[in-house]
Amino acid sequence: MQWLRDMWTKEGPGIPKNAPKKTGLALFADTFAREWWEMVKLNILFILAALFVVTIPAAIAATARISVAFVEDRNTYLLRDFAEAFFRYFWRATAWGLAFTLAIGLGIYAIVTYASTAKDNLVLTLPLMIALVATVFIAVVACHLVVLMVMRDLSAATLLRLAAIASVVRPLPALATLAFVAALWLAHVAFYPVSVFMPATLNFSLGMFAVAFGVHRAAVMVLALPMAIQAHREPQAGDAKHI
Amino acid sequence: MASISLKKLNKSYGALTVVHDIDLEIADKEFIILVGPSGCGKSTTLRMIAGLEEISGGELQIGGDLMNDVPSKDRDIAMVFQNYALYPHMTVYKNMAFGLQLRKVSRDFIDSQVQDAAKILDITHLLNRKPKALSGGQRQRVALGRAMVRNPAVFLLDEPLSNLDAKLRGTMRAEITKLHKRLHATFIYVTHDQIEAMTMADRIVVMKDGHIQQVDTPQNLYDRPVNMFVAGFIGAPQMNMMPSVIERRGERYFASFDGRELPLPAHFDKSRIAPYEGHELVIGIRPENFHELPPADIAPENLAPFSAVMELAEPMGSEIHLNIVAGGRSLIARVSPRFKGAIGDEVKLVVDTTNMQLFDRQTERSILY
Repeated sequence: MQWLRDMWTKEGPGIPKNAPKKTGLALFADTFAREWWEMVKLNILFILAALFVVTIPAAIAATARISVAFVEDRNTYLLRDFAEAFFRYFWRATAWGLAFTLAIGLGIYAIVTYASTAKDNLVLTLPLMIALVATVFIAVVACHLVVLMVMRDLSAATLLRLAAIASVVRPLPALATLAFVAALWLAHVAFYPVSVFMPATLNFSLGMFAVAFGVHRAAVMVLALPMAIQAHREPQAGDAKHI
Repeated sequence: MASISLKKLNKSYGALTVVHDIDLEIADKEFIILVGPSGCGKSTTLRMIAGLEEISGGELQIGGDLMNDVPSKDRDIAMVFQNYALYPHMTVYKNMAFGLQLRKVSRDFIDSQVQDAAKILDITHLLNRKPKALSGGQRQRVALGRAMVRNPAVFLLDEPLSNLDAKLRGTMRAEITKLHKRLHATFIYVTHDQIEAMTMADRIVVMKDGHIQQVDTPQNLYDRPVNMFVAGFIGAPQMNMMPSVIERRGERYFASFDGRELPLPAHFDKSRIAPYEGHELVIGIRPENFHELPPADIAPENLAPFSAVMELAEPMGSEIHLNIVAGGRSLIARVSPRFKGAIGDEVKLVVDTTNMQLFDRQTERSILY
């Protein structure tokens, strides 16, 4: 058992205080390497919380709350913080979830409809492109909104406005994270059945972490706007200052 | 108020007694260090104070209250271990917060305590990391932080720097001393390293074989050791001990060692020396009391020539530790780095007897104090 004890107690290289801070993909990889086990547990929590279907939006919000803490390098007590966030954001997340599901559903319906007819009538490629861009923009807004919602308590109107501003100001990171999430699920499909455990272990939590990581800077930026500062109601403002 | 009182405290394991009826009074906010060789009972004493070892006999009082049968958690103490004892699966934050969580303290209070301790110890950037990523020094800070968040009245530290390299140990010594001044708590610190003891303590307790040998300030221990053990244990390189015969010429006493006559200083209490006239005792001379040339600030009557054969020179940078042989005894002299000499040469030194120590050969106790 000595080797086991040595493995636990062996000194590490140390963490220099003034080392240059990692950014971008290096920071993403570093955070993932540090928190991967927490993400596995978070994934399981998400699946359990989302089992009732109607609880999916609240489970997403709770996962986003934990993911933001990972991004901000803050301490989390996984079960406690997840449960708290789940109940705290339940109604808000459900309402926004319904709204975005409806909006994105309509967008997808429009895309499918225009795409099927655009083959015969080229004029319809214009509304197809508009539907496509609008749907993607709504998805990007949804990403920003869920992260903003768990970072600060704001009224629905302010939240939507800030999410829209963030989506316009920095859409590319959000698009990249959406692509990453899509790639995760494609990998699951492509490598099935080898990848059978991916959704059970990482896909949901890693996907949400990627979203939080991608939109966090834009979220911090818009939360510094006067409208966000005036509108916030609860003492969560400090959260945005951690990074 | 966290004064600590040990009254006839002892610890036995069956027939084997490892701590013998020790008496010790530790003042509130004092930094006291228990020092001694391995097996002297210092860690056992600390563990009895912590409540980790049952007290076999005697009384332990903290803040005037008898603590013999009080559980460890209710003694208002926190302990830092040599091996840090961090939970490897928890982050630094959780390691520090764990004790408070068990006490069902509010979350905001825990967070403020952890953040404050982390700030003081400069480990804020480590809070969300696991111990496996941390160096020894950083782990030690976390272990200190874990003790600090509980805001205890007494800190017990069991050889906390032993696992660190020499350079880091020096840094952490200073950090712990500063921490003591900042926290205004009573610190009881166990070490076998007399340098740690000398540099950090308000008072030092020297222990041997379960007995307290001497309790005093670092300087007093160095200048006025009560016996040969303390004289040899405190100081590096250690004090030179030489068997000598006391002789009297006129009003003055001399210690005669292998044909060399060393004058005893006039300020020594003659009534204590007189009974030893014509008898053998042991004289102790610190290595720094040997000089290449007579120092200008020492009274000439307290200086005596001292020739010896050079055996080895250990250059330390700022000084040379000269191993010399005189009268068949190996001695150590601290001389300046400019000293020139070769192994086997006869070196002519001057010895300053102002701070010479005299010990009874049988009892090994100082005859001066």
